[in-house]
Amino acid sequence: MSFLPDEFRTAYSNRSGPNLAALLTPIATPNDPDRLRSFHNFSNADYVKEDLGACLFKNKKPRVSHAEKNAWVDIFAAYWEAVGELLELDIPNLGVTPVTIFVAWKKVANALIRGYSASSGLPAWTLPCLYSVGKYLRIFAINADLHVASQESSALDFQEDVAADSEKNANLEEAARVINRMFTLAPIEESRKWGIYNTTNLLFKTYFKINSVGLTKNLIRAINAQSDDLPPLEAFPKSHIVTFKYYLGVIHFLDENYAEAEEHLTSAWRLCNRHAVKNQELILTYLIPCHLVTTHTLPSERLLSPFPRLERLFRPLSNCIRKGDLVGFDKAMSAGEEEFVKRRIYLPLERGRDIALRNLCRKVFVAGGFEEPKDGQAPVRRTRVPVAEFVAALRIGTHALGRVDTDVVECHLTNLIYKGLMKGYIARERGIVVLSKKNDAFPGTGV
Amino acid sequence: MSNTAPSQAKAESDQPQQQQKPQVLEEDDEFEDFPVEDWPQEEAEQASGAANGGNEHLWEESWDDDDAAEDFSKQLKEELKKVEASS
Repeated sequence: MSFLPDEFRTAYSNRSGPNLAALLTPIATPNDPDRLRSFHNFSNADYVKEDLGACLFKNKKPRVSHAEKNAWVDIFAAYWEAVGELLELDIPNLGVTPVTIFVAWKKVANALIRGYSASSGLPAWTLPCLYSVGKYLRIFAINADLHVASQESSALDFQEDVAADSEKNANLEEAARVINRMFTLAPIEESRKWGIYNTTNLLFKTYFKINSVGLTKNLIRAINAQSDDLPPLEAFPKSHIVTFKYYLGVIHFLDENYAEAEEHLTSAWRLCNRHAVKNQELILTYLIPCHLVTTHTLPSERLLSPFPRLERLFRPLSNCIRKGDLVGFDKAMSAGEEEFVKRRIYLPLERGRDIALRNLCRKVFVAGGFEEPKDGQAPVRRTRVPVAEFVAALRIGTHALGRVDTDVVECHLTNLIYKGLMKGYIARERGIVVLSKKNDAFPGTGV
Repeated sequence: MSNTAPSQAKAESDQPQQQQKPQVLEEDDEFEDFPVEDWPQEEAEQASGAANGGNEHLWEESWDDDDAAEDFSKQLKEELKKVEASS
């Protein structure tokens, strides 16, 4: 069995931030299932600060300033108290609820924040403590909100929906404020800049969870404003950067800035740890629709095959887009509608219909073959295509049994031309579509 | 930092969840914490640092499908006859 103050001294003398942070986690480990209990038993409410002061810094080691020593004693005293509440959580009739836990843990967070601000000056290598405590603050806040909601719904069956969104998330919003203080703390000094992306990520997650994506804009502005003073992105640990880029990408995605979204999501994808399948899947969930909108291309089999869920999500739609099967596309859209809406990717995917239509028209063009070669020049594709052929293609693409109006087809073609998916014009009086001869009748598709 | 699921926190959240589902974003929509804070470039999805390198296999490059093109050509001719007959 290990003794927390001993572990503190070891972690401190090795200057290991992660090991130090591991001490401030509110969980027992498989190696030491009694970890919380034994730490809590080591003192009592009246003497905990004195005991901590004596044990954490036994024989004046580690050597730290008086202010820093006090900061650690405060932090671990708050932690000790929170651990006490946690140990009583599952015992009935003690009145300890997930809300109590959240309140107790908030004290740990605030003690840490004080430690990093101003005079106490905890060193930068200890920042993982801040990340870890912030992470659990969020988890405890979510649990507290769930608890409050369950209490309310059993008490007030008829007023379930009365509580506004803000009340449902009261604890998580409070957590967001505390984490926001961590964020404003992060850039104070050179050494503390290293926490900036990690705390930002925690806030991004929290704002997404309380459905206040709009609040992320302030954070992004704050980061951009100080970007000159920050170390280059590559200097940060990859986990910070991938998460940051993912959320930045999704935020732009939701604003329909697909080009920017794609840029951020692509860098998240490239840096992402290969073994983090779930995160890779999330990145691609947004990257694939972006790519469809910006470059009109589809995910390859190689890209989708390691992800069965994405395969289900995108494969049917991709096949229909490739084939130019408009009816199939509409069916795949409505079959996946619920999931697409839930993931908020419906709108960009819908634009895939234009690509399906473009592919159908492209097939007409390719089927038209080549003109008689003149004077030994390279063969040129037939660029004057009767509108009737597009009408026929539309009948195939829409599985139409009856008539497809020429007017409607011309309208579709005009649309493609307007969107830059097809180059040419319609000579209506002759019933012919005149396509570009410069090998770019369907830009970006090789013909 | 360890990424093992917090057993206690989990036990707490399981119970109320049965009573009331969270109203907000889907739980599985959330980006997960990585098990490690940093990793070497070899463990990143794109191991080589070359700009754009390795990216070209991710997306379909060609829209051409020679087998299907022939079928389509036939189908188009037949459909065209019907269109011309009806107009």
